[in-house]
Amino acid sequence: MAEYRAEIIIWMFSGTLSLVMMLVWMAQADAAPGGQVRGYSPEEFAGYFLSIWVVSQLMVVWVSWEIDYAIRQGQLSPQLLRPLDPIWPHFIGHVTERFVRALPMFALVFVFTLLTGAKFTTQWWAYPAAFGLVTLGFTARFLWEYTLGLLAFWTENTTSFQEVVWLIYAALGGMLAPLTFLPDWAQAIARWTPFPYMLGLPAQLLTGKATPDQALHGAAILAGWLVLFWFVRLWVWRRGLSRYGAVGA
Amino acid sequence: MRGLRRALRLMRVFIGATISAQLEYRANFLGALMGTLVATGTSLFALGLVLGQPGTTGVGGWTLREALLVTAFYLLTSGFIAVFIRPNMSKIAEAVRTGNMDFTLLKPIDAQLNVSTRNVDILRFPDLLIGAGLMVYAASGLTITASGMLGGTLLYLSSLVIVYCIWLALSTTAFWFVKTQNATELFQGVFSAARFPSTAFPAPVRAFLTVVVPIAFITTVPAQALLGRLTLTQALASPLVAAVLFAATRWFWLKAVGSYTSASS
Repeated sequence: MAEYRAEIIIWMFSGTLSLVMMLVWMAQADAAPGGQVRGYSPEEFAGYFLSIWVVSQLMVVWVSWEIDYAIRQGQLSPQLLRPLDPIWPHFIGHVTERFVRALPMFALVFVFTLLTGAKFTTQWWAYPAAFGLVTLGFTARFLWEYTLGLLAFWTENTTSFQEVVWLIYAALGGMLAPLTFLPDWAQAIARWTPFPYMLGLPAQLLTGKATPDQALHGAAILAGWLVLFWFVRLWVWRRGLSRYGAVGA
Repeated sequence: MRGLRRALRLMRVFIGATISAQLEYRANFLGALMGTLVATGTSLFALGLVLGQPGTTGVGGWTLREALLVTAFYLLTSGFIAVFIRPNMSKIAEAVRTGNMDFTLLKPIDAQLNVSTRNVDILRFPDLLIGAGLMVYAASGLTITASGMLGGTLLYLSSLVIVYCIWLALSTTAFWFVKTQNATELFQGVFSAARFPSTAFPAPVRAFLTVVVPIAFITTVPAQALLGRLTLTQALASPLVAAVLFAATRWFWLKAVGSYTSASS
Protein backbone atom coordinates (compact mmCIF):
# COMPACT_ATOMS: atom_id res chain seq x y z
CA MET A 1 0.00 0.00 0.00
CA ALA A 2 2.75 2.42 0.87
CA GLU A 3 4.26 1.65 -2.49
CA TYR A 4 0.99 2.41 -4.22
CA ARG A 5 0.80 5.73 -2.42
CA ALA A 6 4.18 6.58 -3.80
CA GLU A 7 2.91 6.11 -7.32
CA ILE A 8 -0.19 8.13 -6.65
CA ILE A 9 1.59 11.10 -5.16
CA ILE A 10 4.40 11.15 -7.65
CA TRP A 11 2.00 10.99 -10.55
CA MET A 12 -0.32 13.54 -9.12
CA PHE A 13 2.16 16.22 -8.21
CA SER A 14 5.28 15.99 -10.25
CA GLY A 15 3.12 14.97 -13.18
CA THR A 16 0.61 17.71 -13.55
CA LEU A 17 1.08 20.52 -11.05
CA SER A 18 3.62 22.32 -13.23
CA LEU A 19 1.37 21.94 -16.27
CA VAL A 20 -1.66 23.28 -14.41
CA MET A 21 0.40 26.24 -13.21
CA MET A 22 1.63 26.78 -16.77
CA LEU A 23 -1.91 27.10 -18.09
CA VAL A 24 -2.96 29.45 -15.30
CA TRP A 25 0.05 31.73 -15.76
CA MET A 26 -0.38 31.74 -19.54
CA ALA A 27 -3.98 32.88 -19.13
CA GLN A 28 -2.92 35.47 -16.55
CA ALA A 29 -0.31 36.91 -18.92
CA ASP A 30 -2.82 36.91 -21.75
CA ALA A 31 -5.31 38.89 -19.68
CA ALA A 32 -2.78 41.32 -18.23
CA PRO A 33 -2.37 44.75 -19.82
CA GLY A 34 0.69 44.49 -22.07
CA GLY A 35 0.32 40.72 -22.28
CA GLN A 36 3.00 40.09 -19.65
CA VAL A 37 3.32 39.29 -15.97
CA ARG A 38 6.68 40.41 -14.56
CA GLY A 39 8.21 40.36 -18.02
CA TYR A 40 6.95 36.90 -18.91
CA SER A 41 4.77 36.52 -21.99
CA PRO A 42 2.47 33.47 -22.35
CA GLU A 43 5.05 31.76 -24.59
CA GLU A 44 7.81 32.36 -22.06
CA PHE A 45 5.65 30.95 -19.28
CA ALA A 46 5.05 27.90 -21.46
CA GLY A 47 8.78 27.46 -22.03
CA TYR A 48 9.58 27.87 -18.35
CA PHE A 49 6.96 25.44 -17.07
CA LEU A 50 7.57 22.83 -19.77
CA SER A 51 11.24 22.95 -18.74
CA ILE A 52 10.23 22.63 -15.10
CA TRP A 53 8.10 19.67 -16.07
CA VAL A 54 10.99 17.94 -17.85
CA VAL A 55 13.41 18.68 -15.01
CA SER A 56 11.01 17.44 -12.35
CA GLN A 57 10.29 14.31 -14.38
CA LEU A 58 14.02 13.61 -14.40
CA MET A 59 14.12 14.12 -10.64
CA VAL A 60 11.35 11.74 -9.69
CA VAL A 61 12.70 9.67 -6.80
CA TRP A 62 10.75 6.99 -4.97
CA VAL A 63 13.60 5.46 -3.01
CA SER A 64 12.23 6.54 0.39
CA TRP A 65 9.21 4.29 -0.08
CA GLU A 66 11.41 1.36 -1.05
CA ILE A 67 13.70 1.86 1.94
CA ASP A 68 10.79 2.36 4.30
CA TYR A 69 9.21 -0.86 3.04
CA ALA A 70 12.46 -2.83 3.18
CA ILE A 71 13.13 -1.79 6.77
CA ARG A 72 9.58 -2.46 7.89
CA GLN A 73 9.30 -5.84 6.20
CA GLY A 74 12.76 -7.01 7.16
CA GLN A 75 13.82 -7.23 3.52
CA LEU A 76 16.85 -5.21 4.40
CA SER A 77 18.47 -8.24 6.01
CA PRO A 78 19.47 -10.11 2.81
CA GLN A 79 20.69 -6.82 1.33
CA LEU A 80 22.99 -6.37 4.31
CA LEU A 81 24.66 -9.69 3.58
CA ARG A 82 25.96 -8.43 0.27
CA PRO A 83 29.41 -6.85 0.21
CA LEU A 84 27.95 -3.63 -1.18
CA ASP A 85 26.20 -0.68 0.38
CA PRO A 86 22.45 -1.18 -0.40
CA ILE A 87 22.28 2.36 -1.74
CA TRP A 88 23.90 1.42 -5.05
CA PRO A 89 21.29 -0.97 -6.48
CA HIS A 90 18.64 1.66 -5.71
CA PHE A 91 20.68 4.40 -7.34
CA ILE A 92 21.37 2.38 -10.49
CA GLY A 93 17.68 1.46 -10.68
CA HIS A 94 16.67 5.09 -10.58
CA VAL A 95 19.23 6.12 -13.19
CA THR A 96 18.13 3.35 -15.54
CA GLU A 97 14.52 4.40 -15.22
CA ARG A 98 15.43 7.87 -16.55
CA PHE A 99 16.36 6.32 -19.89
CA VAL A 100 13.01 4.52 -20.10
CA ARG A 101 11.19 7.72 -19.19
CA ALA A 102 13.08 9.95 -21.62
CA LEU A 103 11.48 8.93 -24.90
CA PRO A 104 7.77 9.35 -24.06
CA MET A 105 8.71 12.48 -22.11
CA PHE A 106 10.34 14.23 -25.04
CA ALA A 107 7.51 13.17 -27.33
CA LEU A 108 5.06 14.85 -24.95
CA VAL A 109 7.21 17.97 -24.68
CA PHE A 110 7.25 18.21 -28.46
CA VAL A 111 3.45 18.05 -28.59
CA PHE A 112 3.04 20.55 -25.74
CA THR A 113 5.51 22.91 -27.42
CA LEU A 114 3.49 22.85 -30.62
CA LEU A 115 0.25 23.44 -28.71
CA THR A 116 1.48 26.25 -26.47
CA GLY A 117 4.03 27.95 -28.72
CA ALA A 118 6.64 27.62 -25.97
CA LYS A 119 9.97 29.32 -26.59
CA PHE A 120 13.33 27.80 -25.68
CA THR A 121 16.79 29.29 -25.92
CA THR A 122 18.92 28.89 -29.04
CA GLN A 123 22.20 29.09 -27.11
CA TRP A 124 23.67 25.60 -27.37
CA TRP A 125 25.64 25.76 -24.10
CA ALA A 126 22.47 26.13 -22.06
CA TYR A 127 21.47 22.53 -22.78
CA PRO A 128 24.57 20.75 -21.44
CA ALA A 129 24.63 23.23 -18.53
CA ALA A 130 21.03 22.42 -17.62
CA PHE A 131 21.78 18.73 -17.98
CA GLY A 132 24.70 19.03 -15.58
CA LEU A 133 22.58 20.83 -13.01
CA VAL A 134 19.84 18.23 -13.36
CA THR A 135 22.36 15.44 -12.80
CA LEU A 136 23.66 17.10 -9.65
CA GLY A 137 20.13 17.90 -8.52
CA PHE A 138 18.87 14.39 -9.08
CA THR A 139 21.77 12.94 -7.08
CA ALA A 140 21.16 15.40 -4.24
CA ARG A 141 17.46 14.62 -4.21
CA PHE A 142 18.18 10.91 -4.27
CA LEU A 143 20.43 11.25 -1.23
CA TRP A 144 17.98 13.26 0.86
CA GLU A 145 15.09 10.99 -0.07
CA TYR A 146 17.22 7.99 0.85
CA THR A 147 17.96 9.59 4.21
CA LEU A 148 14.25 10.26 4.76
CA GLY A 149 13.55 6.62 4.00
CA LEU A 150 16.13 5.61 6.60
CA LEU A 151 14.07 7.40 9.23
CA ALA A 152 11.89 4.27 9.15
CA PHE A 153 14.39 2.87 11.65
CA TRP A 154 12.82 5.23 14.18
CA THR A 155 9.36 6.31 13.00
CA GLU A 156 6.40 5.04 10.99
CA ASN A 157 5.71 8.33 9.29
CA THR A 158 8.60 8.58 6.82
CA THR A 159 6.31 8.90 3.82
CA SER A 160 4.57 11.91 5.30
CA PHE A 161 7.91 13.59 6.04
CA GLN A 162 8.69 12.94 2.43
CA GLU A 163 5.48 14.70 1.35
CA VAL A 164 6.25 17.75 3.46
CA VAL A 165 9.77 17.97 2.05
CA TRP A 166 8.28 17.64 -1.42
CA LEU A 167 6.08 20.67 -0.82
CA ILE A 168 9.05 22.80 0.22
CA TYR A 169 11.04 21.52 -2.76
CA ALA A 170 8.22 22.38 -5.17
CA ALA A 171 7.40 25.77 -3.69
CA LEU A 172 10.95 27.07 -3.23
CA GLY A 173 12.27 25.30 -6.31
CA GLY A 174 10.01 27.21 -8.66
CA MET A 175 7.36 24.69 -9.64
CA LEU A 176 4.50 27.06 -8.88
CA ALA A 177 6.10 30.18 -10.32
CA PRO A 178 9.59 31.39 -11.32
CA LEU A 179 11.68 32.19 -8.25
CA THR A 180 11.55 35.96 -8.77
CA PHE A 181 7.75 35.82 -8.41
CA LEU A 182 8.05 34.67 -4.81
CA PRO A 183 7.82 37.18 -1.96
CA ASP A 184 11.23 38.51 -0.90
CA TRP A 185 11.37 36.57 2.34
CA ALA A 186 10.64 33.32 0.50
CA GLN A 187 13.38 34.09 -2.04
CA ALA A 188 15.81 34.77 0.78
CA ILE A 189 15.01 31.39 2.34
CA ALA A 190 15.14 29.64 -1.02
CA ARG A 191 18.69 30.82 -1.68
CA TRP A 192 19.87 28.91 1.36
CA THR A 193 18.35 25.65 0.08
CA PRO A 194 19.42 23.53 -2.89
CA PHE A 195 15.94 23.64 -4.42
CA PRO A 196 16.05 26.68 -6.75
CA TYR A 197 19.38 25.56 -8.23
CA MET A 198 18.13 22.13 -9.20
CA LEU A 199 14.62 23.01 -10.44
CA GLY A 200 14.25 26.68 -11.33
CA LEU A 201 17.78 27.37 -12.55
CA PRO A 202 17.89 24.64 -15.22
CA ALA A 203 14.48 25.78 -16.43
CA GLN A 204 15.67 29.36 -16.65
CA LEU A 205 18.76 28.24 -18.53
CA LEU A 206 16.59 26.42 -21.05
CA THR A 207 14.45 29.51 -21.59
CA GLY A 208 17.46 31.81 -21.94
CA LYS A 209 16.88 33.66 -18.68
CA ALA A 210 20.08 32.68 -16.88
CA THR A 211 23.77 33.30 -17.57
CA PRO A 212 26.69 30.81 -17.65
CA ASP A 213 27.98 32.41 -14.45
CA GLN A 214 24.73 31.67 -12.66
CA ALA A 215 24.91 28.08 -13.89
CA LEU A 216 28.43 27.65 -12.51
CA HIS A 217 27.46 29.29 -9.23
CA GLY A 218 24.44 26.98 -8.95
CA ALA A 219 26.53 23.93 -9.75
CA ALA A 220 29.02 24.81 -7.01
CA ILE A 221 26.25 25.21 -4.44
CA LEU A 222 24.62 21.95 -5.47
CA ALA A 223 27.95 20.16 -5.23
CA GLY A 224 28.32 21.47 -1.69
CA TRP A 225 24.87 20.20 -0.74
CA LEU A 226 25.68 16.87 -2.39
CA VAL A 227 28.70 16.37 -0.13
CA LEU A 228 26.68 17.38 2.92
CA PHE A 229 23.79 15.03 2.06
CA TRP A 230 26.25 12.20 1.49
CA PHE A 231 27.68 12.51 4.98
CA VAL A 232 24.30 12.99 6.62
CA ARG A 233 23.10 9.89 4.82
CA LEU A 234 26.13 7.92 6.02
CA TRP A 235 25.67 9.08 9.60
CA VAL A 236 21.94 8.28 9.69
CA TRP A 237 22.62 4.90 8.06
CA ARG A 238 25.18 3.90 10.72
CA ARG A 239 23.00 5.11 13.58
CA GLY A 240 19.97 3.36 12.13
CA LEU A 241 21.70 0.05 11.50
CA SER A 242 22.56 -0.26 15.15
CA ARG A 243 18.84 0.01 15.91
CA TYR A 244 17.79 -2.44 13.23
CA GLY A 245 16.68 -5.81 14.53
CA ALA A 246 15.10 -7.26 11.36
CA VAL A 247 11.51 -8.37 11.65
CA GLY A 248 10.50 -10.57 14.52
CA ALA A 249 13.91 -10.40 16.11
CA MET B 1 -38.31 4.13 1.08
CA ARG B 2 -37.67 1.13 3.27
CA GLY B 3 -34.79 0.23 1.02
CA LEU B 4 -33.25 3.65 1.50
CA ARG B 5 -33.64 3.47 5.28
CA ARG B 6 -32.02 0.07 5.29
CA ALA B 7 -29.16 1.37 3.15
CA LEU B 8 -28.57 4.26 5.55
CA ARG B 9 -28.61 1.96 8.55
CA LEU B 10 -26.07 -0.33 6.89
CA MET B 11 -23.85 2.62 6.04
CA ARG B 12 -23.90 3.63 9.70
CA VAL B 13 -22.86 0.14 10.77
CA PHE B 14 -20.07 0.07 8.18
CA ILE B 15 -18.70 3.44 9.22
CA GLY B 16 -18.76 2.49 12.89
CA ALA B 17 -16.84 -0.71 12.20
CA THR B 18 -14.18 0.92 10.05
CA ILE B 19 -13.65 3.77 12.53
CA SER B 20 -13.10 1.43 15.45
CA ALA B 21 -10.65 -0.55 13.33
CA GLN B 22 -8.65 2.57 12.51
CA LEU B 23 -8.51 3.92 16.03
CA GLU B 24 -6.11 1.12 16.81
CA TYR B 25 -3.48 2.72 14.63
CA ARG B 26 -3.35 6.15 16.17
CA ALA B 27 0.30 6.71 15.29
CA ASN B 28 -0.76 7.17 11.67
CA PHE B 29 -2.62 10.28 12.69
CA LEU B 30 0.50 12.43 12.59
CA GLY B 31 1.25 11.16 9.11
CA ALA B 32 -2.24 11.92 7.87
CA LEU B 33 -2.03 15.38 9.41
CA MET B 34 1.10 16.10 7.42
CA GLY B 35 -0.66 14.92 4.27
CA THR B 36 -3.44 17.39 5.00
CA LEU B 37 -0.90 20.15 5.58
CA VAL B 38 0.74 19.50 2.23
CA ALA B 39 -2.54 19.49 0.31
CA THR B 40 -3.68 22.74 1.91
CA GLY B 41 -0.27 24.40 1.69
CA THR B 42 0.16 23.68 -2.02
CA SER B 43 -3.25 25.06 -2.92
CA LEU B 44 -2.99 28.23 -0.86
CA PHE B 45 0.59 28.96 -1.90
CA ALA B 46 -0.25 28.50 -5.58
CA LEU B 47 -3.25 30.81 -5.35
CA GLY B 48 -1.35 33.37 -3.28
CA LEU B 49 1.48 33.48 -5.80
CA VAL B 50 -0.79 34.01 -8.78
CA LEU B 51 -2.76 36.77 -7.08
CA GLY B 52 0.22 38.29 -5.27
CA GLN B 53 1.90 39.69 -8.38
CA PRO B 54 1.99 43.46 -8.73
CA GLY B 55 -0.84 44.74 -10.91
CA THR B 56 -2.83 41.52 -10.59
CA THR B 57 -6.32 41.96 -9.22
CA GLY B 58 -7.86 38.64 -10.02
CA VAL B 59 -7.54 35.27 -11.63
CA GLY B 60 -9.83 34.62 -14.58
CA GLY B 61 -12.11 37.44 -13.40
CA TRP B 62 -12.31 36.18 -9.80
CA THR B 63 -11.03 38.24 -6.89
CA LEU B 64 -8.90 36.68 -4.17
CA ARG B 65 -11.84 35.97 -1.87
CA GLU B 66 -13.91 34.53 -4.66
CA ALA B 67 -11.09 32.34 -5.92
CA LEU B 68 -10.50 31.23 -2.34
CA LEU B 69 -14.05 29.93 -2.37
CA VAL B 70 -13.16 27.68 -5.30
CA THR B 71 -10.01 26.49 -3.50
CA ALA B 72 -12.15 25.75 -0.44
CA PHE B 73 -14.47 23.62 -2.56
CA TYR B 74 -11.38 21.91 -3.99
CA LEU B 75 -9.97 21.08 -0.56
CA LEU B 76 -13.38 19.95 0.67
CA THR B 77 -13.71 17.66 -2.34
CA SER B 78 -10.22 16.21 -2.07
CA GLY B 79 -10.99 15.62 1.60
CA PHE B 80 -14.20 13.86 0.60
CA ILE B 81 -12.20 11.72 -1.82
CA ALA B 82 -9.59 10.88 0.82
CA VAL B 83 -12.14 10.09 3.52
CA PHE B 84 -14.99 8.40 1.71
CA ILE B 85 -14.07 7.50 -1.86
CA ARG B 86 -10.46 6.37 -2.18
CA PRO B 87 -10.51 3.94 0.78
CA ASN B 88 -13.37 2.09 -0.92
CA MET B 89 -12.48 2.33 -4.56
CA SER B 90 -8.87 1.31 -4.12
CA LYS B 91 -10.11 -2.02 -2.74
CA ILE B 92 -12.19 -2.96 -5.77
CA ALA B 93 -9.19 -3.87 -7.90
CA GLU B 94 -7.70 -5.88 -5.06
CA ALA B 95 -10.97 -7.76 -4.51
CA VAL B 96 -11.27 -8.60 -8.19
CA ARG B 97 -7.66 -9.79 -8.37
CA THR B 98 -7.88 -12.04 -5.32
CA GLY B 99 -11.43 -13.23 -5.96
CA ASN B 100 -12.71 -11.71 -2.72
CA MET B 101 -15.36 -9.97 -4.80
CA ASP B 102 -17.24 -13.30 -4.56
CA PHE B 103 -18.15 -12.57 -0.96
CA THR B 104 -19.36 -9.08 -1.74
CA LEU B 105 -21.57 -10.32 -4.54
CA LEU B 106 -23.05 -13.08 -2.38
CA LYS B 107 -24.21 -10.72 0.35
CA PRO B 108 -27.92 -9.85 0.43
CA ILE B 109 -27.32 -6.15 -0.09
CA ASP B 110 -26.63 -4.28 -3.26
CA ALA B 111 -23.00 -4.89 -4.22
CA GLN B 112 -22.42 -1.33 -5.45
CA LEU B 113 -23.66 0.05 -2.13
CA ASN B 114 -21.41 -2.34 -0.28
CA VAL B 115 -18.19 -1.58 -2.19
CA SER B 116 -18.91 2.15 -2.05
CA THR B 117 -19.57 2.58 1.66
CA ARG B 118 -17.69 -0.18 3.42
CA ASN B 119 -14.61 1.88 4.37
CA VAL B 120 -13.91 5.36 5.70
CA ASP B 121 -10.49 6.90 6.33
CA ILE B 122 -11.22 9.06 9.35
CA LEU B 123 -7.59 10.10 9.68
CA ARG B 124 -8.08 12.45 6.74
CA PHE B 125 -11.13 14.00 8.39
CA PRO B 126 -9.19 17.24 9.13
CA ASP B 127 -9.12 17.82 5.36
CA LEU B 128 -12.88 18.28 5.49
CA LEU B 129 -12.63 20.64 8.46
CA ILE B 130 -9.98 22.77 6.76
CA GLY B 131 -12.02 22.92 3.57
CA ALA B 132 -15.10 23.99 5.51
CA GLY B 133 -13.15 26.51 7.59
CA LEU B 134 -11.61 28.09 4.54
CA MET B 135 -15.05 28.28 2.96
CA VAL B 136 -16.42 30.17 5.96
CA TYR B 137 -13.41 32.51 5.93
CA ALA B 138 -13.74 33.22 2.21
CA ALA B 139 -17.49 33.70 2.47
CA SER B 140 -17.22 36.06 5.44
CA GLY B 141 -15.73 38.76 3.20
CA LEU B 142 -18.33 38.34 0.46
CA THR B 143 -22.02 39.04 0.28
CA ILE B 144 -23.81 35.75 0.02
CA THR B 145 -27.57 35.54 -0.13
CA ALA B 146 -29.69 32.75 1.33
CA SER B 147 -30.73 31.61 -2.12
CA GLY B 148 -27.08 31.56 -3.17
CA MET B 149 -26.25 29.41 -0.20
CA LEU B 150 -29.08 27.01 -0.96
CA GLY B 151 -28.10 26.81 -4.61
CA GLY B 152 -24.44 26.32 -3.75
CA THR B 153 -25.21 23.51 -1.32
CA LEU B 154 -27.49 21.70 -3.74
CA LEU B 155 -25.05 22.04 -6.62
CA TYR B 156 -22.20 20.87 -4.44
CA LEU B 157 -24.18 17.71 -3.72
CA SER B 158 -24.30 17.02 -7.42
CA SER B 159 -20.52 17.71 -7.51
CA LEU B 160 -20.01 14.94 -5.00
CA VAL B 161 -22.16 12.61 -7.07
CA ILE B 162 -20.06 13.46 -10.14
CA VAL B 163 -16.81 12.77 -8.28
CA TYR B 164 -18.16 9.50 -6.93
CA CYS B 165 -19.32 8.38 -10.37
CA ILE B 166 -16.00 9.15 -12.05
CA TRP B 167 -14.08 7.24 -9.40
CA LEU B 168 -16.46 4.30 -9.46
CA ALA B 169 -16.37 4.13 -13.25
CA LEU B 170 -12.57 4.21 -13.29
CA SER B 171 -12.33 1.62 -10.54
CA THR B 172 -14.92 -0.61 -12.18
CA THR B 173 -12.58 -1.08 -15.13
CA ALA B 174 -10.72 -3.34 -12.68
CA PHE B 175 -13.12 -6.13 -13.65
CA TRP B 176 -11.35 -6.23 -17.00
CA PHE B 177 -7.95 -4.63 -16.47
CA VAL B 178 -7.21 -5.66 -12.87
CA LYS B 179 -4.86 -2.73 -12.33
CA THR B 180 -6.70 0.60 -12.14
CA GLN B 181 -4.20 2.66 -10.19
CA ASN B 182 -3.03 4.65 -13.18
CA ALA B 183 -6.53 5.56 -14.28
CA THR B 184 -7.45 7.10 -10.94
CA GLU B 185 -4.05 8.81 -10.74
CA LEU B 186 -4.71 10.40 -14.05
CA PHE B 187 -8.03 11.70 -12.78
CA GLN B 188 -6.34 13.09 -9.68
CA GLY B 189 -3.88 14.85 -11.97
CA VAL B 190 -6.62 16.49 -14.00
CA PHE B 191 -8.59 17.18 -10.84
CA SER B 192 -5.71 19.24 -9.46
CA ALA B 193 -6.78 21.88 -11.99
CA ALA B 194 -10.00 22.29 -10.00
CA ARG B 195 -8.23 24.35 -7.34
CA PHE B 196 -8.54 27.32 -9.71
CA PRO B 197 -11.75 28.73 -11.19
CA SER B 198 -12.25 27.25 -14.64
CA THR B 199 -12.02 30.72 -16.20
CA ALA B 200 -8.39 30.87 -15.04
CA PHE B 201 -7.50 28.56 -17.92
CA PRO B 202 -7.14 29.31 -21.63
CA ALA B 203 -10.42 28.83 -23.51
CA PRO B 204 -9.67 25.42 -25.14
CA VAL B 205 -8.58 23.98 -21.80
CA ARG B 206 -11.68 25.42 -20.14
CA ALA B 207 -13.87 23.65 -22.70
CA PHE B 208 -12.00 20.42 -22.03
CA LEU B 209 -12.54 20.81 -18.28
CA THR B 210 -16.26 21.33 -18.78
CA VAL B 211 -17.21 18.94 -21.53
CA VAL B 212 -14.68 16.10 -21.60
CA VAL B 213 -13.86 15.80 -17.89
CA PRO B 214 -16.54 17.68 -15.94
CA ILE B 215 -14.06 19.23 -13.49
CA ALA B 216 -15.59 22.70 -13.79
CA PHE B 217 -18.87 21.41 -12.37
CA ILE B 218 -17.16 20.12 -9.26
CA THR B 219 -15.72 23.32 -7.79
CA THR B 220 -16.38 26.33 -10.02
CA VAL B 221 -20.12 25.89 -10.47
CA PRO B 222 -20.99 25.59 -6.75
CA ALA B 223 -18.82 28.64 -6.05
CA GLN B 224 -20.59 30.58 -8.79
CA ALA B 225 -23.92 29.57 -7.28
CA LEU B 226 -22.83 30.82 -3.86
CA LEU B 227 -21.94 34.15 -5.39
CA GLY B 228 -25.30 34.26 -7.18
CA ARG B 229 -23.67 34.40 -10.60
CA LEU B 230 -25.25 31.33 -12.08
CA THR B 231 -27.90 31.41 -14.78
CA LEU B 232 -30.75 28.92 -14.61
CA THR B 233 -29.45 26.82 -17.51
CA GLN B 234 -26.03 26.57 -15.88
CA ALA B 235 -27.65 25.62 -12.59
CA LEU B 236 -29.61 22.83 -14.26
CA ALA B 237 -26.62 21.49 -16.18
CA SER B 238 -24.76 20.24 -13.10
CA PRO B 239 -27.53 18.00 -11.67
CA LEU B 240 -28.19 16.80 -15.19
CA VAL B 241 -24.56 15.78 -15.65
CA ALA B 242 -24.64 14.12 -12.24
CA ALA B 243 -27.83 12.19 -13.03
CA VAL B 244 -26.58 11.02 -16.42
CA LEU B 245 -23.25 9.97 -14.94
CA PHE B 246 -24.96 8.15 -12.10
CA ALA B 247 -27.21 6.18 -14.46
CA ALA B 248 -24.29 5.42 -16.79
CA THR B 249 -22.06 4.30 -13.92
CA ARG B 250 -24.80 2.11 -12.52
CA TRP B 251 -25.24 0.47 -15.90
CA PHE B 252 -21.48 0.07 -16.26
CA TRP B 253 -21.18 -1.45 -12.80
CA LEU B 254 -23.95 -3.98 -13.46
CA LYS B 255 -22.35 -4.92 -16.77
CA ALA B 256 -18.98 -5.36 -15.05
CA VAL B 257 -20.46 -7.55 -12.33
CA GLY B 258 -22.24 -9.54 -15.01
CA SER B 259 -18.96 -10.33 -16.70
CA TYR B 260 -17.19 -11.20 -13.44
CA THR B 261 -15.94 -14.74 -13.43
CA SER B 262 -14.13 -14.89 -10.08
CA ALA B 263 -10.40 -15.36 -9.72
CA SER B 264 -9.88 -19.04 -10.37
CA SER B 265 -11.98 -19.50 -13.47
